[in-house]
Amino acid sequence: MDALQLNSISYAYRSDWLLKRVPTIRDVSLEVAAGESFGFLGHNGAGKTTAIKCILNLVTPQKGEIKILGHDSRSIESRKQVGYLPEQPYFYDHLTVMEIMDMYAALTGIPSGKRRSAIDAALEKVHLQHRAKSRMRSLSKGLTQRVAMAQAIVAEPRVLILDEPFSGLDPVGRKEFADLIRSLKKEGATIFMSSHVLSDVEQLCDRVSIMKQGMIQGVFSLADIQELTHGHYELVIQNPSENLLNELPGANETVSLERAIRLHYPDKTTAHLALEKSIASKAEIGSFAFVHGGLEELFVKLFQSNDVQGV
Amino acid sequence: MQSIIAIARNTFRESLRSKILYALFFFAFVLLCLSSFFGTVTIGDQVIVVKNFGLFGISLFTLAYAAIAGTAFLHKELARKTIYNILAKPVRRSEFLLGKYAGMLATALLLAILMLPMVAFFSIALERSFDTGLVLALYGIILQLIVLCAIAIFFSAVVVTPLLSGAFTVALFLAGRSTGYLLHLLETEAVTGFGTSIVRLLYVLLPHLDWLDVSDQVVYGIPVAASHLVWGTLYAICYAGILLVLGVFFFERREFN
Repeated sequence: MDALQLNSISYAYRSDWLLKRVPTIRDVSLEVAAGESFGFLGHNGAGKTTAIKCILNLVTPQKGEIKILGHDSRSIESRKQVGYLPEQPYFYDHLTVMEIMDMYAALTGIPSGKRRSAIDAALEKVHLQHRAKSRMRSLSKGLTQRVAMAQAIVAEPRVLILDEPFSGLDPVGRKEFADLIRSLKKEGATIFMSSHVLSDVEQLCDRVSIMKQGMIQGVFSLADIQELTHGHYELVIQNPSENLLNELPGANETVSLERAIRLHYPDKTTAHLALEKSIASKAEIGSFAFVHGGLEELFVKLFQSNDVQGV
Repeated sequence: MQSIIAIARNTFRESLRSKILYALFFFAFVLLCLSSFFGTVTIGDQVIVVKNFGLFGISLFTLAYAAIAGTAFLHKELARKTIYNILAKPVRRSEFLLGKYAGMLATALLLAILMLPMVAFFSIALERSFDTGLVLALYGIILQLIVLCAIAIFFSAVVVTPLLSGAFTVALFLAGRSTGYLLHLLETEAVTGFGTSIVRLLYVLLPHLDWLDVSDQVVYGIPVAASHLVWGTLYAICYAGILLVLGVFFFERREFN
């Protein structure tokens, strides 16, 4: 059974009572398998957060249906197994971390007798036990993000929906969150993650979908992305002479470094020709390698393309 | 039920730590102190002035709290996006609304109950005895709070802007405090024809807050019938219940864009 299923959902918001609806997401279909970690990508305003709101029943799509672990997303049952980390989480300022956690634990249905141990475990996972008695308003953005993660995982949900989970975190925090997401996945949780940090998505996700202007442009397995993006040949020459640079075949991309130059060639023949000329002129070769294309390349490619459906 | 209690407790806790509550309590204290001062310089019955002012203070400040907190609650939740996180849990929107109502009502009741000893103190100082009627007057205020909190929650769930929902709440409160005039219009036949139907409809629809208020009877020593309090209690519960059901109806259809 799929953990998450979006079948042709469309949503248009009404900017005012009598105004025409503005489409935000159009005919979005997705299937996320149980235990999978799925990246939900797109530019700002692509409709990612709206799609997440549809999944969580905060807005009702005009068309289509959503199922979470087989339950209709509008049912209470569907949300019993979901943990949600919102983008830019806010909490009640006057309450302490423990009070906030207690409330969310109660809302997820954890009985009062088991609440304390569940809260302690969640706070420990995000390294926040020492701030349990702190008021929310005294916490930094990064620490607030940790509370948001703790309340999302307190009931050990089977599906975790993370909207920009790395927002506001320092490098250490990012690494800890990435490790936590990995361990949650290992424990069997399904991860549905929206993020702008493509390197993190690349490391953590099995598959990604890319959204543009409210539509899914494609769903890709991370393993297939290298093939889709083709990659390029990279030649780095240390202290190149002007003559050599004039002789070399034109590169796709040229990056000037402090004492070197980095050239990208799309095909093997041109790259080899450039390498041979460099060797012949006795230039100091820094490196020569085939570089696989990554998620970032695919992302940019999709957004520069007008006819992206065919990619 | 666990969700309603959790939301109510959280609302209550947050209210107790908010500055608005303490500001209202402070102003109520000042008003009550002034009432004792006015009492001493008044020609006539000092006790009546003190009780009148005191009960007016309790009524004014608790009802003001209900109006302010009730109308702002949803706007604040939406502005801070705290509501997203709550409704993403297995929580029904009706449970959220009822939890907020219960938490808000509990705070207003606490405010009212804490103010009563102040009125009682000045009253005892002048009368040398405790007037149990003050408890009845407080009960009347509590019944009004039950209705007013529901009005505030209803408008907050239906109307998008807090200013508008606040204005509607205050308007309905004022209208509810004046339903006696509508009855007077009907009894004296001051309106005729279609106007009578409108006034009668308004009389039925508007909350009879002035009827629930027994402060004047207490202050002037007029006995309050037990049946009045029983019917008043039933009326307040039913009126608040209907408003909350309507509020839930609209709130469940609301989109959180």
